[in-house]
Amino acid sequence: MTLPPRDDGRDGALDTPPTGPAYDLPAPQAVRDREWHRQSPRMLFIHPVKVLWSMAVPIVIAFVGIRQSADTTWSVRLLPVLVLGALALGVIPWFTTRYRFTETQLQVKTGLINRSEKTAPLDRVRSVDLESPPLHRILGLARARIGTGVDESRVELDGLAREDAGQLREYLLLRGAGARGAQQTAARSPGDASLGSEGDVPGLQGAPGAQGSPEPGLPPPPPAQRPGPLRPEEVLAEIDWSWLRFAPFSLSSLVIVATALGVLFQFGDDFGVLSQDRVTGTYEWVLAQALVAIVLVGLFVLLVGWLVVSTLNYVLQWWNLRLVREPGGTIRLTRGLLTTTSTTVEEARIRGVQLTEPLLLRAVGGGELTSLATGVGTGGTTKLLPPCPRPVAESVGHSVLGTGERLLDPTGDTPRDPGTGGDGRLDGPLTVPVRSHGPAAHRRILVQSQWATAFLTGVAAGLTWWLGWDWWVVAAVAAGTGLASLGLGELSYRNLGHQLTPEHLVSRSGALQRQRVVLERAGVIGWVVRQSFFQRRRGLADLLATTAAGPEVVTVANIPLPWALELASRTTPTVVDQFRSTGEEP
Amino acid sequence: MSSVTGDPALRDPARKVSSRAIAYWTTTALVWEGIFLAVLVVVYLFVLPDRWWWATVILALAVAGALVEILVVPRFKYAVHRWEVTDTAIYTRSGWLNVEQRIAPLSRVQTVDSEQGAIQRMFRLASITVTTASAAGAIEIKCLDQDEARRVVADLTEITGRDEGDAT
Repeated sequence: MTLPPRDDGRDGALDTPPTGPAYDLPAPQAVRDREWHRQSPRMLFIHPVKVLWSMAVPIVIAFVGIRQSADTTWSVRLLPVLVLGALALGVIPWFTTRYRFTETQLQVKTGLINRSEKTAPLDRVRSVDLESPPLHRILGLARARIGTGVDESRVELDGLAREDAGQLREYLLLRGAGARGAQQTAARSPGDASLGSEGDVPGLQGAPGAQGSPEPGLPPPPPAQRPGPLRPEEVLAEIDWSWLRFAPFSLSSLVIVATALGVLFQFGDDFGVLSQDRVTGTYEWVLAQALVAIVLVGLFVLLVGWLVVSTLNYVLQWWNLRLVREPGGTIRLTRGLLTTTSTTVEEARIRGVQLTEPLLLRAVGGGELTSLATGVGTGGTTKLLPPCPRPVAESVGHSVLGTGERLLDPTGDTPRDPGTGGDGRLDGPLTVPVRSHGPAAHRRILVQSQWATAFLTGVAAGLTWWLGWDWWVVAAVAAGTGLASLGLGELSYRNLGHQLTPEHLVSRSGALQRQRVVLERAGVIGWVVRQSFFQRRRGLADLLATTAAGPEVVTVANIPLPWALELASRTTPTVVDQFRSTGEEP
Repeated sequence: MSSVTGDPALRDPARKVSSRAIAYWTTTALVWEGIFLAVLVVVYLFVLPDRWWWATVILALAVAGALVEILVVPRFKYAVHRWEVTDTAIYTRSGWLNVEQRIAPLSRVQTVDSEQGAIQRMFRLASITVTTASAAGAIEIKCLDQDEARRVVADLTEITGRDEGDAT
């Protein structure tokens, strides 16, 4: 193994050495020695426990099952075999997993029979997430997931000592940022058209990293050239326990409670409380009363369970929440009570944010904030804030986006909507009023909402005809679903809207759950204008802005066609304008 | 919103696909509708010997649908399917009842693929698919003349190769 001459930057870290890359942190030991490493020996404890845990149910079932059969000595002999097998199975990963850092990449080998080797180019590291489930935490370990900008493929490095993991995270992120800074410099210099600058960073004249949070939305920000000390990290948000009041208003925990209650009732059934034959007979009346009581108690338990579970869940997930902007131009979120997680995304990768307000949460003035980013794995979204007061979500969202934009129309016209700040007051894409889509859209949404009514009424009519019900059933179904659909349609029209701020495209939508998606203009990588037959009759269109971040598409539905083209054209004039029918175009 | 550049409409993309596409679409429609109708006729003749009136109606509708699919749809497809590649963007339009227009800047293009099925080869046609980093952003130009397709792919590859960055 040859160690290339290389400044580990321990002392002169802030100067730019003439030959080596200038990184602001000394490389961790594991990176410098270039040898194959195993996971921490402490993983020898974690793996078997994990295997045992995952096999716990089959083992217990087997044990109990055998117990109940005649020959018990057999089971007593079998149990140690099972346990030992689990232990052996658990130890294997430790022996088969190795990782090492070469000059340019991280290599991880895993597997005994199906061997796999994953590599991550160090200069392309875009995100490093750390996670410590409870057992990891007790043993002082952490698991790292390293994302390199290509979706879905992240390299996992388990069993790192916690301090090493922290160092590694900072090192990798700064190194990635440094490589990008250098790459941008290279791209800027005329005549240097090589794309390969990403691959051979050791040879680059180092730019010390794209520090100083780049303004998202502007074309690629110039890398900060000053080799001075890094800025201290900037705290964007910390947990405020008064937010806990919003916990019960998120419906996701209701599902958990309802499931638990369902299981409970299943058991209740087994005890015979609810069985049919008990209700008949002498205790009929008493039991009928009991039934009412049980339903009431059930509802009460559901409510209390919901409160408890949702609050607990909130505390477990969001304990110690800290959202900071780090010196290397990354946004880092740390949280968790039992399992601690740290999620880091390069700021330039955050193409937008989404503010989600489910019905209940909206009723109490709360909202949730997620980011739309590229290269962060599944779904492209990362949570930024738990359910919290809307103003908090808005201001944190703005600071993540790096804006408190002046609401001036880039083209100089003032927006027609009253109150959208032609006065240039400080406002941002999350607070700016959206522009409603007008009467044609209103009519279409209301008419479209009646498809559900027609369908359900049809089904009801069919059933009535088939089963000989009374015909008022059909009328009732039609009226009920018709009104409900109208209400939903009205809601979704009221929530529908769009806006263009100097740097962002804003789209608001949803009926019961309202969401406002804010996408950087520079994050738009294409347009789709879609018109169904009925939309064409009303002069409406769905405008889809495609993007690499988040759900990969932002939809502005039922927008009048001229507005859609106007919006697309203003967002990306160089692309769209050439296809508009007027002007000098042939 | 007051219009900045006058008439806000998008013009049609400049170019049509190859006129042999009509023959190709007719052929594929003939094949598939032929199979479909054959199955229906067999069912009608041998499985439903009672010749119920509604079975006859369904069969008649199926035949009418097949005729439309074979005689009318290919011509409409040819009429509405248009495309254009400029120095900076690719623009397509497709659909008759439901119209869809797609624009992607070439700087954001990630891959340029061309495909040619067996029947397409008979008609010397090829399709091009241009993808961007968004799953919703793929653009397809169906049934170009194969030589033209080759040229377009070469051009696109050349133009997109000039750009740096990862197109996100």
